[in-house]
Amino acid sequence: MLRATLRSFLAHRGRMLLSALAVLLSVAFVAGSLIFSDTVSRTFDRLFESSAADVSVEPRQEFTEAQGIYGGLIPVVPAALRADVAGVPGVAAAHLDVEVRNITLVDRRGEAVGPTTGPPTMAVNWQRTGHSVVELAGGREPRGPGEILLDRDTADRKDVAIGDTLRVIAAPGSFEARVVGFAAFTTTNPGATLIFMETPAAQEKLIGRPDAVTSVSLDAAPGVSDDELKQRVAAAVGPRFSVKTADEQAKTATEELGGFLDIIKYVMVGFAGIAVLVGIFLIVNTFSMLIAQRTRELGLLRALGADRRQVQRSVLTEALLLGLTGSTLGLVAGVGLAAGLIRLMGLLGMNLDAAEMVVGWTTPLAAYVVGLGVTFLAACLPARRAARVSPMAALADAEVAGVGRPLRLRAVAGAVVAAGGAAALVACARNGDTSTASLWLVLGIVLTLIATVIAGPLLVRPVIRVLGGAFPRVFGSVGAMSQRNALRNPRRTGATASALMVGLALVGGMSIAGASMTKSVDNEIDRSLGADFVVGGSSFGPFPREITDRVRDVPGVGLTVRQRYATARLTLPDGERVRTPLGAYDPELDKVFKLEYAAGDTAAALAPGHVGLQKEYADKHGIRVGSVLPVQFADGRRARLTVGALSSQESESFNAGGGFYLGIGTLERYQPGGQDSAVMLNAADGTGTEGLRSRLETALETYPQVAVRDQADFKDLVRQQISVLLYLVYALLGLAIVIAVLGVVNTLALSVVERTREIGLLRAIGLSRRQLRRMIRLESVVIAVFGAVLGLGLGLVWGVALWRVLALEGLRAFAVPWGTVLAVVLGSVVVGLAAALLPALRAARLNVLAAIAHE
Amino acid sequence: MSTAATERGDGLADGVGVAARAAALTKAYGAGETSVTALDAVDVAIARGRFTAVMGPSGSGKSTLMHCLAGLDTVSAGQVWLGGTEITGLSERELTRLRRDRVGFMFQSFNLLPTLNALENITLPMSIAGRRPDQEWLDRVVDALGLRDRLRHRPAQLSGGQQQRVACARALVSRPELIFADEPTGNLDSRSGQEVLGMLRDAVDRLGQTVVMVTHDPGAAAVADLVLFLADGRIVDRMPQPTAEAVLERMKRFDGLRKN
Repeated sequence: MLRATLRSFLAHRGRMLLSALAVLLSVAFVAGSLIFSDTVSRTFDRLFESSAADVSVEPRQEFTEAQGIYGGLIPVVPAALRADVAGVPGVAAAHLDVEVRNITLVDRRGEAVGPTTGPPTMAVNWQRTGHSVVELAGGREPRGPGEILLDRDTADRKDVAIGDTLRVIAAPGSFEARVVGFAAFTTTNPGATLIFMETPAAQEKLIGRPDAVTSVSLDAAPGVSDDELKQRVAAAVGPRFSVKTADEQAKTATEELGGFLDIIKYVMVGFAGIAVLVGIFLIVNTFSMLIAQRTRELGLLRALGADRRQVQRSVLTEALLLGLTGSTLGLVAGVGLAAGLIRLMGLLGMNLDAAEMVVGWTTPLAAYVVGLGVTFLAACLPARRAARVSPMAALADAEVAGVGRPLRLRAVAGAVVAAGGAAALVACARNGDTSTASLWLVLGIVLTLIATVIAGPLLVRPVIRVLGGAFPRVFGSVGAMSQRNALRNPRRTGATASALMVGLALVGGMSIAGASMTKSVDNEIDRSLGADFVVGGSSFGPFPREITDRVRDVPGVGLTVRQRYATARLTLPDGERVRTPLGAYDPELDKVFKLEYAAGDTAAALAPGHVGLQKEYADKHGIRVGSVLPVQFADGRRARLTVGALSSQESESFNAGGGFYLGIGTLERYQPGGQDSAVMLNAADGTGTEGLRSRLETALETYPQVAVRDQADFKDLVRQQISVLLYLVYALLGLAIVIAVLGVVNTLALSVVERTREIGLLRAIGLSRRQLRRMIRLESVVIAVFGAVLGLGLGLVWGVALWRVLALEGLRAFAVPWGTVLAVVLGSVVVGLAAALLPALRAARLNVLAAIAHE
Repeated sequence: MSTAATERGDGLADGVGVAARAAALTKAYGAGETSVTALDAVDVAIARGRFTAVMGPSGSGKSTLMHCLAGLDTVSAGQVWLGGTEITGLSERELTRLRRDRVGFMFQSFNLLPTLNALENITLPMSIAGRRPDQEWLDRVVDALGLRDRLRHRPAQLSGGQQQRVACARALVSRPELIFADEPTGNLDSRSGQEVLGMLRDAVDRLGQTVVMVTHDPGAAAVADLVLFLADGRIVDRMPQPTAEAVLERMKRFDGLRKN
């Protein structure tokens, strides 16, 4: 029996090729993502471990800033602290550290030298300790406030030479500095751009306070452990500072980086998931078809005395062989994929060493579990069907099995699951709470997807009748035959189209969500943003005050309103403690941004010691005008703010969380020294906006981190940010389509084999090669368009549900991106045509005589 | 023994046209040592408006002869004419058109398209060519074959005999110059077989159709006007106005030959 199985596997290896490719792709993405993230974390672990001082004394931070909301405050400790801790027993040496992250480096032409997005541009004081991860590589050490070292990778990338002058835009102000040397990483460069300055110059120029540093690092004396030293130092400095061992510092650094790595990991897992999901359809289909074609052979085995279990086992063994082959090749491809990703990161500035690729034991394990699991799972149903082949099948003229079997069970199962899915989506749409609604949404999406897959074959007939309805009229009998061929085995057509459907449903749903978000934000900007111009960065990051001052000095600028952010921890009346961003504004906010109020007004919200927030949020937490909210800032400072007003602003896009906002004066009282993240401004009376715009742009020419935007530009900015998300979805779709195309190719190729005799007959009675190719192309197109229609239909339903969830977050507009929908449908025609290329060629090449004689 | 002169004397009566002709038709498979000659310099003419049967033991080359005459297979040497057209040397595209417009086929295993109903199968060659069937002629063929009440049925819903009648109608409906039938009764019980043979005979007698049929069955061959006997790639004998007994007798001699 095993020999028969092996023979059969080898005999059909050509037909298994595409399935193996699907397994390979799934496994490659799983393995690639594991290898890549293992390699990255190993590299960073090493970097952080070697760069961390034995013990470091840092400013106390109650909590980290809210994601993406940065106030631009630089937490510091007094430089005098070094003297205090140097005397602690066990301290061998104490160093002053200055490390500032949010600087901008500009060359002579006013262009940014460092990256503008992604990895930061950092400034660090130059000192030689045992924990330096950089060394001098050309030139000499910096001396005085006018000299810097630049990291060599950046220098190479941007062609900066020793002797060049760069402008450093730091929080206290910008200054010119000459590059006197290069610093080279002794470990991996994480992708950041770094400059180094002499310590006193760094204090003065980067922090703006000669008496402060960002931390004090300590070397432990021989024989003193980090933990021991930490205890002693903590006792000496008291609770105002946080004291961390090398391990703790590395852990914090890894956590901060973790977000970024997690994103990469999730994206890769997403790709792997899609590949697995779509691959399953392909494998199920291949096995079903192989079994249908081999009905007679299986019948013969049964007639010869093989029992059902043996037949089933034989099919499953074939699946395992396929899985084994696919997984092994996939593992190899995964290593290649990881190497490619590592090189890609190198292009983006993160130099990981591909030679140090980490392949942990989990990688091959996961690869084989996924590869074998997927194939085994996918082959289970066909294997059961194979076991049901009766010995009589060996004698009967083997028509394709399963064609005529009723789909009633499928209809019932599909309807039940669809009802469940629909109920979940309705529950999602009706739910008022975002997190509950999201849960319903996920459940609804999963159930409706399953329902569509189950019911797909049932929909084949009606939908393809409509889709291909014009075929007979337009393409004559060739069209009629291709339409009927697609209808011939609904299961097969359904499963083939399902692979395409999954990807397109995702795109449909996400693009509707994206379009709705864009439209909502557009509406919101139209409604609220009254300022003539907004000056700010593309990611709303903080910028030095110098820029605000420059803006104010431009002739023709009338009113300016600054926006600033801080993160705070609030204790709400219902007892909940939340970490939330606070937006701070100048009192004239009304003149540049229109807010609607349920209670109070802008003046009341921005009054000293007061705060405003969104009404819905307030209602939920029992907050009223006059409530007093205890507030704690990151550095531990506390305040009590009185609620002055409740805004009835629909959208929270204005301000995330509960939409808390207050006067800049109030914030400055508790958190002095923050940086602005935007300046909204109006033209002075009698000043034309066009002229003002060009004057503003000229004034800000040397500040590449900010741009001048009017309402339309602002919409574009938001749109861009939403489309970044969509691009990711499109990339996922791309992979799904590649596999789906494999599926269509697979189905068509196997169908051509199955219909060899028929094709021979058609050729014998005068069908030309061109007509034959067209027949197969049309069949392919109708399958692909069927998949697209199903996918878009499902995507539309998901999109509506998704939009209801977004509406809870204030994004109430609904939009269907018809352009995308049209593109998807046209794209699916192209996919169909592309998938038919090879099978059509093959069919057209069939020898007529051989085809007639085929059996 | 087969020269053009004896053929003419044997096969064609005066005033009867030639539907298809082969001269020195040779077909070999493979090359060099392993080469097998299926047809060895065959000269043959098929009379128009007549029913010709081709018989011979397995491997005698009778199917190959039919395939070559029908333009389904290429020849190694020699010439083939269909009507006045020399088809040896035609391009693939021209051959396809020729088959479509001038030749009809029937196969042992019917070869109907399972997705099309009977009527659609019958008119398939016409609709592939993009022509409308002659409705009057179609009706006549359908009625003659007794398929009137089966036109909307799919092949799976038809018996073997009915399926072969549909195949017969498909071959007839485009009024080809020549119908090639490859063992049309091979898969049928004797009653259905007789029915189909009757149809073909009728087509020749009443509709003036030309039919070439390859068969194993002496009873089937007896329906023809002329039986050509093939052995080892040559035409070894011909029998006008055959009877089943005479054909059987002739075939036995092949068996005898083989035993020697």
